[in-house]
Amino acid sequence: MDIFIQQILNGLSIASVITLIAIGVTLIFGLTGIINFAHGEFLMIGGIVTWLAVSAGLGFPLAVVLAILAVGLMGYILERGLFRFTLERPTNGFIVSLGLIVVLQHVVVLFWNPNQKSIPRPLTTVWEVGGVRIASVRVMVIAITIAVVALSFRMITASRYGRALRASVEDRDTAALMGIPVRRYITGVFVLGSALAGLGGALLIALFPITPFTGGTMVMKGFAVALIGGLGNIYGAVAAGLILGIVEGFSAGYGFSQWTDAYSFALMILVLIVRPHGLFGGTSGPRMAS
Amino acid sequence: MKTVLKMGASAALCLGVLAHPAFAEDNIVKIGVVAAESGSFVSAGHTLPAGVGLAVKQINDAGGINVGGKNYKLEMVKRDDRTDIATAIAATQELVRDVKVQAIFGSETHDFTLAMAKITQPAKIIHFAGNSTLAKILTPDSVKPGGEDHYLFQSEPQEFQRSGSTARGVLTLLEPLLGYKPKKSVMIVGNDATGQFLSSYYFKALKAEGQDVPDIIFYPPDTTDFSPFLTRAKSLNPDIIHFWYNGDSTLTALPQALELGAAKSYFLFGVDPGIWKEKQLSADVPVAMSCVPVCWGESSNPKAKAYFDAYFAAGAPHGVTSSVSLLYHDYVHFLAEAWEKAGSFDPDKTVEALLTLHHQGVVSDDLTFNPTHQVTHATEVCAAAPGGAISCSMQQPPAEAPKS
Repeated sequence: MDIFIQQILNGLSIASVITLIAIGVTLIFGLTGIINFAHGEFLMIGGIVTWLAVSAGLGFPLAVVLAILAVGLMGYILERGLFRFTLERPTNGFIVSLGLIVVLQHVVVLFWNPNQKSIPRPLTTVWEVGGVRIASVRVMVIAITIAVVALSFRMITASRYGRALRASVEDRDTAALMGIPVRRYITGVFVLGSALAGLGGALLIALFPITPFTGGTMVMKGFAVALIGGLGNIYGAVAAGLILGIVEGFSAGYGFSQWTDAYSFALMILVLIVRPHGLFGGTSGPRMAS
Repeated sequence: MKTVLKMGASAALCLGVLAHPAFAEDNIVKIGVVAAESGSFVSAGHTLPAGVGLAVKQINDAGGINVGGKNYKLEMVKRDDRTDIATAIAATQELVRDVKVQAIFGSETHDFTLAMAKITQPAKIIHFAGNSTLAKILTPDSVKPGGEDHYLFQSEPQEFQRSGSTARGVLTLLEPLLGYKPKKSVMIVGNDATGQFLSSYYFKALKAEGQDVPDIIFYPPDTTDFSPFLTRAKSLNPDIIHFWYNGDSTLTALPQALELGAAKSYFLFGVDPGIWKEKQLSADVPVAMSCVPVCWGESSNPKAKAYFDAYFAAGAPHGVTSSVSLLYHDYVHFLAEAWEKAGSFDPDKTVEALLTLHHQGVVSDDLTFNPTHQVTHATEVCAAAPGGAISCSMQQPPAEAPKS
């Protein structure tokens, strides 16, 4: 039984960082239609910034803030400098994001070499309850994810900004006619999604070492979660993140462990066949008058 | 008109001098390197050009090589395969056909080497690959003159040798630290072609040493969260969890294993004690490590310190698998000696010389290739006690593969 409970906790922990990525992916796609495959590299940059800050002697909490700000700023620059020119042609945005993956990876390799980077665990306590081991650092990651998800819910559902955002997703042109500064909202969402990736990177390096190539695997899972939940659907991303985390935990623990990733992506394919807009319904990107 | 002619003649003369690269390059011998300097295998990959580059510099600083009474300098031409087999193939084609290298070193990945050999061997290019896995293609038939792989050399011991010496070393070093003879082992292995291949040998080697191995747990490459795999291993109550084979993945998994209390001791394949020290790793249980082939952070090999001092001074980063560079560095010197002995760059004469030479390298004072072009030498295994003290020893390989 203790092994079973341990696997559930493992699944929750896996779900946390992936959910943070998926929320960023799903928000950006929902409003802009951009499928940003470089989102994993945003996460990696967040981890690198955290590593640099901690290596420079700063505490982990301050390093997390720096990672969020740095990746948010990077998102702002890239949206204004690159992605805004692709909004009318999302395929171009997709291609740009593929190019960015290589560029960002190689910039990091150039300045900080390709080797693994890690930081000392910010929390080292491990609790043992009835044979189940609970690492405090994992609890911290899960708690931060829950807090961020709750804040995002609140922002999307209850704030004026969130209503305008949802209106922009529904119909960008009508929203603009109603006085919503859609372009600014697009930038804002891109920055928010990027900042979440920065946070995800900071949390990731608190758990595991990272390399300049860590982003690729993470973003694939982030997209799987976003697609299972329904692209553009933040609630769906959270629920799908949990499902995928539990599926991964249990498949590694009890199934053919080497197929762990395959189970996740098979689930994604199955969901897309049965429910093309995801389990909880999603968008096909922003609607615009032609 | 005369002026125009004079100007034309002068220009032609100048262009003629400039356009005669052979004049400048006559005494240069080009050596190609194809390795992963980016992508998931970068950790081992970047050690190839670093090791080859250091050897090239050492040879050139010592005056180059004398072949057939003429002095030559070596030049390394490296290409990043980005851990992508198609890129490795394209890079090899370019190095062979356009750059016209005399020899190629790489790749660190078995599958890539096989693909590269399809280009290097018909072109009669001497090809060194630091893979332990080439036994199936390096057969007496394939390496004979005119054979398919006559110019291909394996610069790492065969896998049954490496696995055998590693398993024996791990068990020998961990037993006194555990205070009892370990009996049950679980292997955690990256699920790619290399992992599957290598683990089959290591599994046999552990069994040959009397270990009960109830499970081999494969994880998808690029896994970062090992907790479900480790929890599964923990449920089997092992004396030792053997992390096999990717050093980067191993370093990611170990702290998680320690948090979960997954086993009574651990073995980290391909993690150097130097990294253990630099990262200030510690464990409340014994941890064994192995290097391919000699460790840089702590070593029982007397030549290791001087080599790694020079290696790192040349700018190579302290990596998990920096020692992999030795699977290439020594063989640049070996090849240079073979060219000098052959008195020619003729590939057939070079192969003959490579097969008869006994080379004094860093890894061993007596490096030789067997008739199927494979090298044999010891592997270094170290163990960190819970208090932090690290001890190392070179483990000789078994003479024969264990019977399955």
